[in-house]
Amino acid sequence: METLINVAHGFGVALQPVNLIYCFIGVFIGTLVGVLPGIGPISAMSLLLPITLSGTPESGIIMMAGIYYGSMYGGSTTSILVNIPGEAASVVTCIDGHQMAKQGRAGPALGISAFGSFFAGTFALVALMLVAPKLASVAIAFGPAEYFSLMVLGLVVLTFLTQGSMAKALLMACIGVVLGVIGLDSITAQPRLTFGRVELIDGIGLVPVVMGLFGIAEVLLNTEQVIKRDVINTKITHLLPSKADWKASAGPMTRGTILGFFLGILPGGGAVISSFASYALEKRLSKTPERFGRGAIEGVAGPEAANNAAAGGAFIPLMTLGIPPNVVMALLLGAFVIHGLQPGPLMITQNPGLFWGIVASMYIGNLMLLVLNLPMIGMWVQLLKLPYNILFPLIILFTIIGVYCSSNNVFDVYVMIAFGIIGYFMRKLGYEPAPLVLAFVLGPMLENNLRKSLILSQGDLMTFIERPISAVCLAFAVMLLVGPLLPALRKKREMVALDEGV
Amino acid sequence: MSNDSDVKLRLNNSELWGGLIGLALGGFVIWSGLKLKLGTVNDPGSGFVLFYTGILMCLFAASIMAAAVTEGGPTFGSRWVDTRWTKPLLVIVCLIAFSFALNPLGFLLSSIPMMLLLLRLIDPVRWQLAIPIAALVPLGMWWVLKRLLLIQLPSGIFEIG
Repeated sequence: METLINVAHGFGVALQPVNLIYCFIGVFIGTLVGVLPGIGPISAMSLLLPITLSGTPESGIIMMAGIYYGSMYGGSTTSILVNIPGEAASVVTCIDGHQMAKQGRAGPALGISAFGSFFAGTFALVALMLVAPKLASVAIAFGPAEYFSLMVLGLVVLTFLTQGSMAKALLMACIGVVLGVIGLDSITAQPRLTFGRVELIDGIGLVPVVMGLFGIAEVLLNTEQVIKRDVINTKITHLLPSKADWKASAGPMTRGTILGFFLGILPGGGAVISSFASYALEKRLSKTPERFGRGAIEGVAGPEAANNAAAGGAFIPLMTLGIPPNVVMALLLGAFVIHGLQPGPLMITQNPGLFWGIVASMYIGNLMLLVLNLPMIGMWVQLLKLPYNILFPLIILFTIIGVYCSSNNVFDVYVMIAFGIIGYFMRKLGYEPAPLVLAFVLGPMLENNLRKSLILSQGDLMTFIERPISAVCLAFAVMLLVGPLLPALRKKREMVALDEGV
Repeated sequence: MSNDSDVKLRLNNSELWGGLIGLALGGFVIWSGLKLKLGTVNDPGSGFVLFYTGILMCLFAASIMAAAVTEGGPTFGSRWVDTRWTKPLLVIVCLIAFSFALNPLGFLLSSIPMMLLLLRLIDPVRWQLAIPIAALVPLGMWWVLKRLLLIQLPSGIFEIG
C-alpha cells in the first residue's frame, strides 16, 4: 500500500507540465543520439549536463535519465536499417536485425525491438520500485569500509569488462582517482595538485572532463573515417509483429528482461554486456541455432529487451547506495551533485518526491518512446541522412558553449579541449576513458571512505576483511584481478569486453 | 619482430611509450603524495591515497611496458594506417587556436572563424552553406545565451558580444 501511495506521489511529480516537457526532451534527444552513429548516450549526457542547472533537480535528472533509456530504443533503428550500431548496446541487434531488414522484414524487426524495449523497460521500473526501497533500508547499515569495498569492486568490474589490456584499464582508473582528488583535501583543507592555480582549488569539473573525453575525442575519432551509410530504402511496413513473431519472441523477451535487469544492477555491468549475454543465451537455447545471424527475430527481441532492462536496473545501485555502476550513472550522479543532492539510502526517505518522480517519469518516458519509435520511424530514417560534415562542427561549438555555461569560466573550456585531445590519443593507443571517468567520480568518495574506515578502526586493515559485505566485495575484486592471468578466464573476458564500458 | 607494424624493443613501439608515460605520471603522483605528507595508518594524511595510487600506477605501467617488450606492440604509424589522420590533426589545430583566441578576441570573433574552418576542413561544405552556418549558429547561440538566459560569453578586448 505504501508503495502505491509513493507511486501516486511520483506520478504527481512526473505529470507536472514542466517535468513532462523535460522528459520528452530527454527521450527525444536519447532517441536522436541512439539513431545517429558515433554519438552515444555518454556524449549526449555530458553535452547536456550543464542544462540541468537551469531547472529543478527533478527536471534535470528526469531529462538525463530519458536520454539514457531513450538511446537504448533509438540505437536499434540504426542497427536494423543501416547495419551500424547507433550506440554500443545495439551492436548485437545488427546481426539479425539488419538481416531481417534485407529480407524485407524491417517493420517487424523495428516493431519487436520497440515492444521488447517497452516490456523490459516497464518490468525494470516495477522491479526498481519494489527492490530499491528494500535495498536502501539495508544500505543504511553500510559503514565506510563497505562503501570503500563496493567502490573498489565497481571499478575492478568495469576495468575487467573494458576492451583491451586490463593493465591499461587499471592505469586509467588510477589516473581517474588522482584527477578526482585534485583540489582542497576535504579533511585537512590542504590544496593538492593545484599548481598554484585558483581555478583548481575546487578540483577539475566533471563536465569539462567528460565533454572532452567523450564529446571532442569522439568527434576527432569520427573525422578520421569517411562514414558510409547503406540505409535500407524500401518502405517500412508491418511494424506490428505477426502472431508467429510474437510467439517466437515471447520467451527471448522475458529471459532477456530478467537477465538484463540483474546484470544492470551489478557494478560495472550494464546494457552492453546484457545484450551480448542475452544473444548468447538465446542461441544456446534455440532448437535451430543456425538461424541466428540470418534474420532470427529472437536475436533482436532478446538483446533489445536485455539492454533496456539493464538500463533500468542500473539505477538501483545509484539510487540506493549512491554508487554509480557505470559511466552513464556516474554522469547522473554528477547531475545530482550539481544540485546539491547525494543519492543514497537516505534519499528515498528524505527526498521521496525526487526518487518516485524520477521512477514515474521513466514509465511515462517509456510510453513516449513507444510513440516516438513506431509511428515516427520515418522521421528517424530521414535523420540518418544528416551530413556529418555539418554535424561535427556543431557538436564542437555546443560542447564549448555547454562547458562555458556550466561554470562561466574560460578555464573549463581549456580543460575540455585538453581532455579532448588527450582522450583522442588515449583511444588511439588503446586506453579506454570509461574507467577514468568512473574513478574520477568515485575517487573523492573512495578516498574519504578509506580514510574514515582507517581512522575508525585505528589503523586496523582487518576491518575490510572482518565485515562480511566488505570482505565479499573485496574477494570478488581480487578474483577479477587475478582471473585474467588464467587463460580460460582471459578468453571469457575478451568475449564480453565492452566498447565504452557502459 | 613479427612484421613492420608490430615491434618489440624499438623506439617506435607505441605500447612501450604508453607504459613510459604511465610510469612517469605514477612517479610524479608518488612524489606529490610524499610532498603532501602520508600521515599514519591510524590517521592518513593528504598524500596517503595519492602515494599508494602512484605506486599502483607504476606497477600497471611497468606491466604494460613488460608486455610491450616481451609480446611486442604496434608502431605509432600503424595506429593511423588507413585513416584520414590529417583531419583530426586539423581539428586539433583549430581547437588550440580557438583556445588562444577566446579570451583576447571574445566568443563571437573566435568561434565564427573556427566554425568556418571546421566546416571547410573536415569534409568541405559548400561556401554558400558554410558561411551562413558559421556566422548564424554562433550569433544565434550568443543571442539566446545573452538575451534569454542572461549568460555573458567572453567579449574580448574589442568588447564585441
